[in-house]
Amino acid sequence: MTEFKSLDFDSMTPADFETYLPEFFANGDGHVSTDPRLQTFLRNNPDCAALVRDLEAIADQARSLFEPTEDQDPSDAVWSNIQNKLKQSTGGEDDLPVPLSV
Amino acid sequence: MDVQGLQMTQPTPPTPGVFKRNPPIAGEAEAIEAAKNGDAEAFSKLYALHKRRVYTLCLRMLGNVSEAEDMTQEAFLHLFRKIGSFRGESAFSTWLHRLTVNLVLMHLRKKGLNLVSLEETINPSEEDAPKRDFGSRDLALTGSVDRVALERAVASLPPGYRMVFVLHDVEGFEHNEIATMLECSTGNSKSQLHKARLKLRELLRQPQPAAQPNGLKEVAV
Repeated sequence: MTEFKSLDFDSMTPADFETYLPEFFANGDGHVSTDPRLQTFLRNNPDCAALVRDLEAIADQARSLFEPTEDQDPSDAVWSNIQNKLKQSTGGEDDLPVPLSV
Repeated sequence: MDVQGLQMTQPTPPTPGVFKRNPPIAGEAEAIEAAKNGDAEAFSKLYALHKRRVYTLCLRMLGNVSEAEDMTQEAFLHLFRKIGSFRGESAFSTWLHRLTVNLVLMHLRKKGLNLVSLEETINPSEEDAPKRDFGSRDLALTGSVDRVALERAVASLPPGYRMVFVLHDVEGFEHNEIATMLECSTGNSKSQLHKARLKLRELLRQPQPAAQPNGLKEVAV
């Protein structure tokens, strides 16, 4: 395996590329396909370019998962349990008020 | 949650990337201040504002509805007890998410899932690991990834992969933060994330099963 520091980005092997791909993604803005150092390599290795596109598409779509959809609520029992637990602890060590409704 | 958890839930300095994704919510600041003064309705409002995100985070990390609801409950009980220590140095939701992640990780440790050595303990078996066939262009995704399909694929990832993927790609934590939380090396976090994405690519290229009602399926950890 070629050391990363001595890696020639234009002529590295696909195996080297695969080895260092996590680093390529972790560095910079995480978009390997726009990394100027890799343009020649990706142009000459379309399979590697396709892999990069797929992994970028997955990472991009993952960001959209941050906002949950409307059907992803906990059941009403969760809030009931919270209320009950808070009632039990009222006057105890935490001395919390008891929220009534959501 | 016992006092042991307090040390784990201290807010750390804000991370710009996460802060950007957690813009202030209308009425939230007032509710936080009121809740600090013991206003019960303010607690209700904070629960209503954040229950969905906290629950979804728990569900993604745990892959189990029942456990996710239990941890959602614990997270809000913890929040209500400790809201006085929120100083506004980071977005409230960032603080709450960090608190939730720490509680879930503590829960997993209590269950016996040793996160000290990520590589050895939650690295998936050979059959779960992504195949090394990255050169098969014919099987490449078409350039877009369906949200529901991705959600389903994430739910079926092995726990170690899923944890790092959710923390990094969904929640926006940096590798050094994940390494601290999971007590592993930064390199390990990067490697796990890469394997997770490769595994997701593999899963997404498989024929999709019929849609499920909630978009998420329950997966045992």
